[in-house]
Amino acid sequence: MTTPRKRSWAEPYRIKMVEPIRRTTQPERERAIREAGWNTFLLRADDVYIDLLTDSGTSAMSDRQWAGMMVGDEAYAGSRSFYKLEAAVQSYYGYRHVIPTHQGRGAEHILAKIAIEAGDVVPGNMYFTTTRFHQEAAGARFVDVIVDEAHDPTDLSPFKGDIDIGKLERVIDAFGPARIPYVNYQATVNMAGGQPVSMANARAVNALCRRYGIKLMLDATRAIENAWFIQQHEAGYADRSIAAILHELCHFTDGCTMSGKKDLLVNIGGFLALNDDTLAARAREVVVAYEGMPTYGGLAGRDMEAMAIGVVEAVDEDHMAARIGQVHYLGDALRRAGVPIVEPVGGHAVYLDARRFLPHVQQDRFPAQALAAALYLDSGVRAMERGIVSAGRDPATGEHVRPALELVRLTIPRRVYTQAHMDVVAESVIEVFEHRDEIMGLELTYEPPSLRFFQARFAPLPPVRETVAAAETSTGE
Amino acid sequence: MKTIIEPFRIKCVEPIRMTTRPEREAILAAAGRNLFDVAADDVLIDLLTDSGTGAMSAEQWAGMMRGDESYAGGRSFVRFQAAVRDLTGLPHVLPTHQGRAAERILFSLVGGPGKLVPNNTHFDTTRANVEFTGAAARDFPINEGRLPALIHPFKGNMDVEALVAAIEAQGPANVPLVMLTITNNSAGGQPVSLANIRAVKAALAPYGIPLFLDACRFAENAWLIKQREPGQADRPVRDIAREMFSYADGCTMSAKKDGLAHIGGFLALRDDALAERARQLLILTEGFPTYGGLAGRDLEAIAQGLVEVLDEDYLRYRMRSVAYLGEALTHAGVPIMQPPGGHAIYVDAAAMLPHIPPAQYPGQALVCALYLEAGIRSVEVGSVMFGRPRPDGTEEPAAMELVRLAIPRRVYTQSHVDYLAEALVAVHARRETLTGLRMTNAPPFLRHFTARFEPLSPAAVSAGV
Repeated sequence: MTTPRKRSWAEPYRIKMVEPIRRTTQPERERAIREAGWNTFLLRADDVYIDLLTDSGTSAMSDRQWAGMMVGDEAYAGSRSFYKLEAAVQSYYGYRHVIPTHQGRGAEHILAKIAIEAGDVVPGNMYFTTTRFHQEAAGARFVDVIVDEAHDPTDLSPFKGDIDIGKLERVIDAFGPARIPYVNYQATVNMAGGQPVSMANARAVNALCRRYGIKLMLDATRAIENAWFIQQHEAGYADRSIAAILHELCHFTDGCTMSGKKDLLVNIGGFLALNDDTLAARAREVVVAYEGMPTYGGLAGRDMEAMAIGVVEAVDEDHMAARIGQVHYLGDALRRAGVPIVEPVGGHAVYLDARRFLPHVQQDRFPAQALAAALYLDSGVRAMERGIVSAGRDPATGEHVRPALELVRLTIPRRVYTQAHMDVVAESVIEVFEHRDEIMGLELTYEPPSLRFFQARFAPLPPVRETVAAAETSTGE
Repeated sequence: MKTIIEPFRIKCVEPIRMTTRPEREAILAAAGRNLFDVAADDVLIDLLTDSGTGAMSAEQWAGMMRGDESYAGGRSFVRFQAAVRDLTGLPHVLPTHQGRAAERILFSLVGGPGKLVPNNTHFDTTRANVEFTGAAARDFPINEGRLPALIHPFKGNMDVEALVAAIEAQGPANVPLVMLTITNNSAGGQPVSLANIRAVKAALAPYGIPLFLDACRFAENAWLIKQREPGQADRPVRDIAREMFSYADGCTMSAKKDGLAHIGGFLALRDDALAERARQLLILTEGFPTYGGLAGRDLEAIAQGLVEVLDEDYLRYRMRSVAYLGEALTHAGVPIMQPPGGHAIYVDAAAMLPHIPPAQYPGQALVCALYLEAGIRSVEVGSVMFGRPRPDGTEEPAAMELVRLAIPRRVYTQSHVDYLAEALVAVHARRETLTGLRMTNAPPFLRHFTARFEPLSPAAVSAGV
């Protein structure tokens, strides 16, 4: 018997345009992180070597998208680029009404404005920072109904983004369907590590919502990546195309908010899509005041053109295999070296588990924030904290919200970096892991009132390891 | 050489489509006689707006390629911030996806019930954003500004006496800021003089009320100051622009006009505490403070645009091409707002169509006729845009019934302008045959975007044009 020879995959494109990046010296990085208050958001991009802060708006467009940029129709009203975008969304996502917005949070803002009344409750599969903010600003309370497995970074279930049907039913019972304007359904779930939902779950959530007459709104930002996971791991979907799976997933929902800056391979843009005529009419009235005329929604015509082309490119099977293949390539390298990461690896990022990475740093000392800063200091790789800093404070008590997951996200922009870049990232993470005892944690020196992770500033705690580290380890944190 | 030519050559063109008269009749009927609802492909010459419709330069397109799309701390933001600070002298620069977002952030911080926001004349989205917070938006133009046929160099000026009286009546504590729109778009694109800006600033000083500029067309305003204000003829237009901003405590800007960009805007502020609060709001609805909901490339295009727009050869060509259209129309007896302003010609529909009362929207009737005649898209700036419902169900008409022919920057040639003038003169020659319209739905906010109309008599479409 012969073992099948290993067959590599390669990117389904070649490089047409490049952008230089700069290596920095250790003293330069020490100065830069100090000036940035140990917050990677506040670093200047020019001081970053490999930028894994986010996959949002940082992707490389194709030559066809750039050609579309030139074709874009900048007419204020009735732009042909709008009609192209509308047709692409209707065809691939299947919703009837398409309202462009300048980015995803513009769509979230409008949905919250038209659907939520004070005192409402919005259940969802784990919070996302800007989404929860808009729900709360409109007077609603967010209730997490994700499956318990999502909170365990070592659980290997394939669909850790699923909604727990029992939890959702209990929320509906407790508050009554009239107080629930919609259920917010993320695919994939960002704060859980980019974990997908299954089609079986979408079907079940849809059935429950139908029974109570509650709308189901998809956060479709990475729904195409989610479709890839369904194709790979859900029984009966191996032979279905990503496009067909996306369409089926969407048809279980009543509309979606969308940041085109992720799946759709553009640098700016989003949309709100709805099936309900009345809700869509209200959304069009509101969009004029906040975003722009309903046929441009605050986007240049060329950006609608690029997004319309991006829809078609994003559902391409080879593209998605290479996209997620690269994320898993990095995940595999870290796992082999024993670095604690969230498993299984999701679609857009590898998440370092800062609790297990830095067991000696208690959560109040912001271990994930400290780890992101340490990684930058080692190599100029920029990552993002997704832990206690991102979770913010409880509006009622003013205390830190303490999420079960204390993570550092290494987010991979689409079509931008090569495997060699991934090797550099892995080597740096492993280096930091080997010297993890030297990372002491941080204290807050400036805290903005909302979405604090964007602009908060920190200072490193002095190295009093022998006492503090021992005490904290013994608490079993 | 007396002829003023374009200080550029054309590097990239975009085809436009001719339509037939029967096609246009069907298109107009399907759009409910609201030109906002007509597909752009069905328009030959699009004068709906000069906002975001200009042609970018080769340097701006090169900037588009250089744009840094990093989520945080991108070098395109650093360049953008430097360009805005250099022009305005204001330390805090917040990019926004367009001008109305800057207005929304500003007024949700300073507005609210019981507050009064005075302006020389509010633009439509500005008014909507002020009123959305519960504050009152009131206009204080000089009287000359309301008389279309009168020649006055600075019809955009604010009536300082009326302003002071209103502040006293409201109580200065309830006037969070005073805004000057330069140029004054809703009043015919008319400029505001340096003397008037200084006078408003001086009048506000005792009250400690900050002065803000709605700076969308600051360069055109600066050029008209250079042309018309005594003692300013020999100053570089950039100096004049900087002096204008030196009196301001902040500004909102839609870069889609004098930023020569297709998308984008900014809010610039002097006050540290207000800027910090504005940044919080910016993050929530626009984006992180170093991109504000714009692609990095758009920040590059604006930074370059703010330099190009103050080029004197460009401004001379720009203003001359608008004036050229104004002269052709005046020569043929078409009543227009005099003297022509910076970015558009405003036809005085009330004077041209005295047989159509304001309640039957003479401006909208003219807009429809011009489209049917030649495929030209213009916009009504009269009772459709600014009419207010009275308690008895009738409507308070706007002060003026205007039709705006907004000229996109660097897009159309003199031949396009000649074609346009001929079409308008032809409509003017048979103006008595035009009839009024009835509004069949009226949305509560910004109704001119989505309202629909019917001709007042069934025969109006065929007989009226």
